[in-house]
Amino acid sequence: MPETYSPEVIEHLVRPRNVGDLPEPNGLGESGDAACGDIARFSIRIEDDALRDARYKVYGCAACIAAGSALSELVNGKTLLEAARVSKEDIKDALGGPLPVGKEHALTLVLDALHKAFEDYWNREAGALLVEGYGGNGAGRGKTVVAAMSGGVDSAVTALLLKEAGYEVAAVTFRLHDGEKGSRSCCSPDTVLFARDTAHRMGLPHFTLNLKDLFQKRVMRDFVGSYERGRTPNPCVACNAHVKFHAAAFLADGLGFRHVATGHYARVAESPEGPALARPKDATKDQTYVLWPIPKELLARTVFPLGDYEKTEVRRIAEDRGLAVAYTPESQDICFIPDGNYRKFVRKQVAAEPGEVVDGSGNVLGRHAGVVDFTVGQRRGIGVSANTPLYVTEVRPRSKQVVVGRRKELEVLEVGVRDINWFLSPEEARSVQVRYNGSPVECEVEELEDGELVARLAEPVMGVAPGQSAVFYSGDGERVVAGGVVARSGS
Amino acid sequence: MEQRVYLDHAATTPLDERVLAAMLPHLEGRRGNPSSLHASGAAAREAIEEARESVAALIGASAGEVFFTSGGTEADNLALLGLAGAVEDSGKRHIVVSQIEHAAVRETARHLESSGWEVFWLAVDADGLVDLDELAVALRPDTAFAAVMWANNEVGTVQPMQELAETCAERGVPLHADAVQAAGRAPIDVERISVATLALSGHKLYGPQGAGALYVRGGVSLDSVVFGGGQEKGLRSGTENVAGIVGLGAAARRAREKLDERVRRETGLRDRIIAGATALPGVSLNGHPERRLSNSVHLTVEGVEAESLVLFLDALGYEVGSGSACASAGHKASPVLLAMGQGEHEAFSAVRISVGKDNTVQEIDSFLEAFSTATTQLRELSPLTKI
Repeated sequence: MPETYSPEVIEHLVRPRNVGDLPEPNGLGESGDAACGDIARFSIRIEDDALRDARYKVYGCAACIAAGSALSELVNGKTLLEAARVSKEDIKDALGGPLPVGKEHALTLVLDALHKAFEDYWNREAGALLVEGYGGNGAGRGKTVVAAMSGGVDSAVTALLLKEAGYEVAAVTFRLHDGEKGSRSCCSPDTVLFARDTAHRMGLPHFTLNLKDLFQKRVMRDFVGSYERGRTPNPCVACNAHVKFHAAAFLADGLGFRHVATGHYARVAESPEGPALARPKDATKDQTYVLWPIPKELLARTVFPLGDYEKTEVRRIAEDRGLAVAYTPESQDICFIPDGNYRKFVRKQVAAEPGEVVDGSGNVLGRHAGVVDFTVGQRRGIGVSANTPLYVTEVRPRSKQVVVGRRKELEVLEVGVRDINWFLSPEEARSVQVRYNGSPVECEVEELEDGELVARLAEPVMGVAPGQSAVFYSGDGERVVAGGVVARSGS
Repeated sequence: MEQRVYLDHAATTPLDERVLAAMLPHLEGRRGNPSSLHASGAAAREAIEEARESVAALIGASAGEVFFTSGGTEADNLALLGLAGAVEDSGKRHIVVSQIEHAAVRETARHLESSGWEVFWLAVDADGLVDLDELAVALRPDTAFAAVMWANNEVGTVQPMQELAETCAERGVPLHADAVQAAGRAPIDVERISVATLALSGHKLYGPQGAGALYVRGGVSLDSVVFGGGQEKGLRSGTENVAGIVGLGAAARRAREKLDERVRRETGLRDRIIAGATALPGVSLNGHPERRLSNSVHLTVEGVEAESLVLFLDALGYEVGSGSACASAGHKASPVLLAMGQGEHEAFSAVRISVGKDNTVQEIDSFLEAFSTATTQLRELSPLTKI
């Protein structure tokens, strides 16, 4: 790397292009902060899927000013997709080569400001759609796909496989919550920046959608509320039900793209009744249990490229293609609770009131500090000594009671399921899975008039917690017939 | 290259042609090690001793109190490490150092701190002046030495050295003064101002780079930090940089002769810049308004980042210094400005303009125009300030 600036940098410094603020932008983005010493702002006007005008302002070192100027030149007049493909490498080339040591952050800064303006544009386009939820219009054409990219190896390989299969791919990263590592700091690595880099290295356009309100409303609030109501939530299910696929479809429709794709391990099987969710090749990575709530009309346009691969193969593909993400660790169970301590997280949001620990006959055995600390099937932290191990068998938020009993009392032979999403006809259901890491058990199903689906199990299952998912599989065990939420259980 | 205007004399000064003329005989066909007994060696020795006389005369010292080094940084290192080493066995492990020292002193003090020395970092006020009362409180029976720079290299504030030296002398604590910026620009008389050691550098007074000197008052003992053949009375081993030392001597002689004239001339140009620049909106002077170096102007330019301003002016043909360096993990604000109570953000917007003996009024006026142009354009570019 050089010690000093290239003549191109100095030229852009002294005669910067496209300086200013647009009077009526439909996208505005800012990156960096004054305390950090550098700040960049882009105001853009997008019309007919093209960047009609892009203006920028920078407070910062010569590298930042020149990079902003060069980037504005690179994207002005381009289609939105072309503009979203412009990478740090492209800016560097326009500036006559590498920047001096320690100045590379200028490229990240100005590109981030432009992409935040894109993000703002999509937010304005969406209005309430990205808060209320979006069903999609599916009007897009051709072999085109919006691929969700989290910054991990699975989603990166997903985008790569689609590109290699001849799709026109646009990558999208969702901004879901503020808990992501480094997301508040301008100078530290950030998952959005990392995902953008990954997409650009593959030559793909990248967009970011801000779904914080939607995620808060549909996932985090539900997560906390479930514990308050004595239920055991599954935030990944809630996200797949209302957030991820809907947002990807929104972007696809905005770009005129047909398909959406994610890096989940699952397949979409064709059936006379339409598309059905099916198990992937790699049974150990099967994610059908959390994907059941995808609406059928969205599943019809969804592609899961990793459904045909083993995880080891996916990692090898990433290594072979030189993707930096090849060695990223497996993602967290709950993305917005990085330390895994979800009790602490819930406790911060709700005031827990103490109550009684009782046995099945109502005898008081002890006290507890709040029902939010308990979930059906739990053995640790009950705080009551007994000759045989005690388990939580029921949580009663209204009376603030936690019911405990012996292991045998956790056995369930009947499950009542609601909020059902059907893929196939009910008579095809042969087995049901009620826990993320469980196995399906044979069952018979009956639809009640009030809409509840009753599953009668061929063998008892331990600790079925209300709020968890129940997913029904077909006779061959491969296809998802339906999924729903456990409302009650019985023995 | 187009006509360039050099206004960064605090970084380094151009080599005076008379100085170069004095040096050349010691470079062309050079022979003779000053330590050798033969005629060539004796000639080199004589040239060095003549230079020693000149440097001593500049600061009111006697020749025996001047020791040549490779520059200001080495002189500062030698003073601090030498003073510390000389008293270490007596149990003194405490030093007092101002918060606005040049890195040559600051980092040496930090090195001592990391080897177990206790350092009291003497605060400064908003103008960059140290507090005499605080110094008096900071000095202890086990204080090995104090270090306060004569004039600050960034903001240009000149310290009340007489009072500082008296306070230290009363307590029996040696005082080191980094006079790298002051020597040749402010009258220095160690007879009157009783510092124990004082560092100066050739290339800040129109002499060559790579030559400096440490004044050590008679009777003050210093450990050496460079070992070898015992040159410079054993304090600084290594064959002497004869041409450099001769250059330093010539520069010192010239500086002494021309001191009043240079100060008068530079002060005029300096004040012209201060008046012109601070007349612009959002431009303010850092450092003490009166007690400052004759040649130095340090400005905070609101809403403009220093590096971009310096490079912009460079592109227009004007060479000035930036107040703070932009580093990889964001910026590194100047510790001097932070010590003076400025925020990090203000510190990113500081530039230093330092005139020299050969600058003209016309140059200053055209610089002020360029400065106004650059500031205006960079502010139009800034999303932050509305000035």
